[in-house]
Parts: sequence; C-alpha cells; structure tokens
Amino acid sequence: MRSSLVARTAIMCALLIVMHYTVRPVLAWRTSIDFLLIALVFGSVRMRPAAAAVFGLILGLATDSLALGAFGAGALAATIVGFASSWLKAVFFADNFALNAMFLVAGKWIFDLVYVLMSRRMHGLEMMSQLLLWSPLAALVTAVAGVTVITMLRPLHQEKAA
Amino acid sequence: MARAAQLGGRFDTVVFAACVLVALVFGGLPEEMRDPVASALRRTIVAPLIGMQRGAERWRTAWIESERQTLQLDSAGMFRTKAKSLEMENDRLRRLLGLGARLDWGFVPAEALHTEGRTEDVITSLTLTAGSSRGVSQYSPVVTVEGVVGLIQTVDPKLSIAILYSHPDFRVSAMSADGGAFGIVYPHLDVSASRMSERYLLELRNVPFRSSLAVGTPIYSSGIGGAWPRGVLIGTVVDSIVETERWSRTYLVRPAVNPAHVTSVMILTTQRVGQGVGNIWTNTPPADTQRRPAADSAAAVAADSALQVAARRDSVRRSIARRDSIRRDSIRRDSARRDSLRDTTRPPPP
Repeated sequence: MRSSLVARTAIMCALLIVMHYTVRPVLAWRTSIDFLLIALVFGSVRMRPAAAAVFGLILGLATDSLALGAFGAGALAATIVGFASSWLKAVFFADNFALNAMFLVAGKWIFDLVYVLMSRRMHGLEMMSQLLLWSPLAALVTAVAGVTVITMLRPLHQEKAA
Repeated sequence: MARAAQLGGRFDTVVFAACVLVALVFGGLPEEMRDPVASALRRTIVAPLIGMQRGAERWRTAWIESERQTLQLDSAGMFRTKAKSLEMENDRLRRLLGLGARLDWGFVPAEALHTEGRTEDVITSLTLTAGSSRGVSQYSPVVTVEGVVGLIQTVDPKLSIAILYSHPDFRVSAMSADGGAFGIVYPHLDVSASRMSERYLLELRNVPFRSSLAVGTPIYSSGIGGAWPRGVLIGTVVDSIVETERWSRTYLVRPAVNPAHVTSVMILTTQRVGQGVGNIWTNTPPADTQRRPAADSAAAVAADSALQVAARRDSVRRSIARRDSIRRDSIRRDSARRDSLRDTTRPPPP
C-alpha cells in the first residue's frame, strides 16, 4: 500500500471516529449510526487482515474503556469484524456500492452479536429484541450512513487516475 | 510467490488469534486489573474524543433547551393573549350584568354572532341567539351597556338578525343630553375607500341651526317615533359637517359601541320601549371612566384586604353554625333557582 493511500485511509478513519463522538450524540437516535464501525470496515478493507485485526482490537479497547463491565467485548467484536472484512475483501476483490453496504450491514450485526454475547448484560427477551430488531435496524442505518459518507468523501480517499 | 502468500496468510491468522486472545484475556480479567488499563486508555487516546462528545452533547442540550424555552415563551404569549381577551370579555359581561340589574325587566339577553364574510367588510348585521320564542319582535332595539347597537330586522323562533347602526337603513331619532338639540342619526355612508375606518361613524342630521353642539357632547335617543326609548346613549359628537343648506346643522358622531367588540347584547321588548328606560344610560359614565382611577387603587386594595379579613371571620362563624345551615341552604337554593328562572321580559310583580 502506497504511503498516500495509507495517509488518505488514516484521515478518513480519523474523520469517521471524530464523527462518532460529535455527530452521533447530536442525532441521539434509538438506532444510532455507528461511525466507529464504518471507520473499522472502511480501514480494514484497505489493510492486510493482520493489520485490520490489530486496528479492530485498538478501536474496540478504546470504546470498551468507557463501558463499565464489558471491557474486552467490544475489542473481540471489532477484531473479528476487522479481520473478516479484510479477508472477505481479499476474496471478493471488488469495491462497489452494494458490497460496501453489505459489509457494513453484516459487520454491524456481527459486532452487536459478539458484543451482546460476550458482555453478558442482556438476557431472554431483551437480548432477542436487541439482536433481532434493534441491531438489524442499526445495521441498516449504519450502512446507509456509511455508504453516503464514503460516497461524499470519495474525492478525499480515492486516488486520481494518472 | 505462493510460499510468500502462504506465509502471509499464516501470519495474519496468528496475529488475529493473538488479538482475539488479548481481547478474551481483557474480558476475563478481574475488575481491579481491568480498571487501570481502561483508566489509562480513558486518560490518553480516548480523552480528546470524550471532550468532543461532551461538546456535542452540550450543544444538543443547549439546542433542546432553546427549543423548550421558545415553546414556553410561545405558550406564555398565547396564555397572555387569551387571558387578556378573557379579561375583556369578563369585563363586558360584568357590565352587561350591571345593565341587566339596572334594567330589571323588559329585555332578552342574547349572544351576538358575527356571521359576515370577509373581515375587512364593514359589519352591518349581527345574528342573535334569541328569537320570537323568547319575546323578540321585529324592530326591537338592541343595546349593550355602552348604548345603541341596532334594530331587530328578522325574527325566527330561535334566532334573530339585527341591523347595526352602520347599516344604510338604520335611523334613530336623537337628542343632546340637555334636550336642547334634536335630530335624526344616520350611518355615515359617504366615505372614500381610503378612509373606511370612518365608515362606523354616525351623522346627526337636521339639528336646528340655532342648536350648536360642542365636540364631546353625548347624544341619546330621543324616544320620538316610538321605535327607541328615550335616553339610550348613541355616541358623542366628534365634528360638524358643513352643509349646503343653511337652516340645519349636521354633526359627526362617534358611536358608543364598537361592533367588533359586541359579543353579548340585550334586546328591549316592545313593552319596555313603551315604558322607557329611565336614566340608565344618562347616569352611566362612559365605559373608560367606569374603571377605578390609578390614584384610588391603593385605597381600593386596602378596602379589599379589609373585606377579605371580614370574609374570613365570617366563614369561621359560618363553619361553627354549620349544623343548622342545611335548612337555610335549601331555602337559599330555592330562592336562587327562582331568581335564575325569573322572566326578564315581564315587569316584576308589585
């Protein structure tokens, strides 16, 4: 990966992480947009699977530091999603609108699944409603927002044709 | 090449497994070992992000608070407007009740409904919620506590329609307060489109040339012709109109009643018109002067508080004597019911 591409990816990820802590609290939706996951997927598909796993681990640990009693759950979930995104991207080897959206939907839902199971905070009906209702909705919202943001910021992260 | 890819794949898997292991280890650590790590992260890489989140949440809170304050201000403004209109209506109804008490009999109270179309039109008629079933007849005078409103034109059993003094067909014979000048009051129709506010003024015509009226002179119905009783306030002289004929004068009269504010009226019965209304309007000060002057307000407040103290003492006395009050209460209720059912259209029994 060339250094300019690394820098662009890093800027995009930083921008998305900042949006997670600035835009999300302002919107305050019940099914909120997970900009961290967008950053994770966006960065992971442009990295080697090993780097994506480390990126996921760091991102997860950072978010876990604010969640009392669930330390490690987010790190595990983000590691899995980051590694899987990078590995799947290498398999599909395509960068299009639908694939990005699919990665975001699947990534968000798997992240929530791992996080809920690992943190062991929810049980029974509450867990089912979270995993089968709120998580898919949040995944869809995140995918829509992610595709929109990535499309809007395409000039920033895409290299110009020589 | 294939070997390098295989090695890379193995390296990825090993790193991934290591990351998963680290995450699981952190998840499985006891709380006292987890907290220092989490705290270190919070104080280093997460701190600027939390600062941004705090700023965003403050901004959101300020925005919600601002919206809430705007809503509260709007509500307060609406309540104030409503309170003002209620106060005005209350004031009008109180004065109307006062007029009812002074008239005592020979009237039908009714509500006035403004049913005309566009608001910029001159109001010339009103629908009243009392009809022939309550003793209203055609050409019955319609009054408020301020004075002349109009005449009943059409009567149905439950409703009636009155023409206002602004209607082209309206006439009332009039006189000055001292009876020194007589004339006929007409609506002021000759008004240009740019001065439509003057359309509600009245003209006192055919006043003998020898009778000069000063600005501010109150004009009352004279009772001549029998349609109106003598002494109902019509308005006050505001100007004189230059006439081509030199044997009579014409004056511009500002009506005592504003049609836009008429919500409740009294319709005088034929019998009452015949017997007259005495000096009800001639003794009533204009609506503006009925309110207490500001200088008297302190004395009024003191008097009110003295009355409140007396009322409190009275209520204590009443609570002691409550045991014997059931009979008295039923008598009081009976008499109140009789009062409320009293027919205001007929004279009281001698």
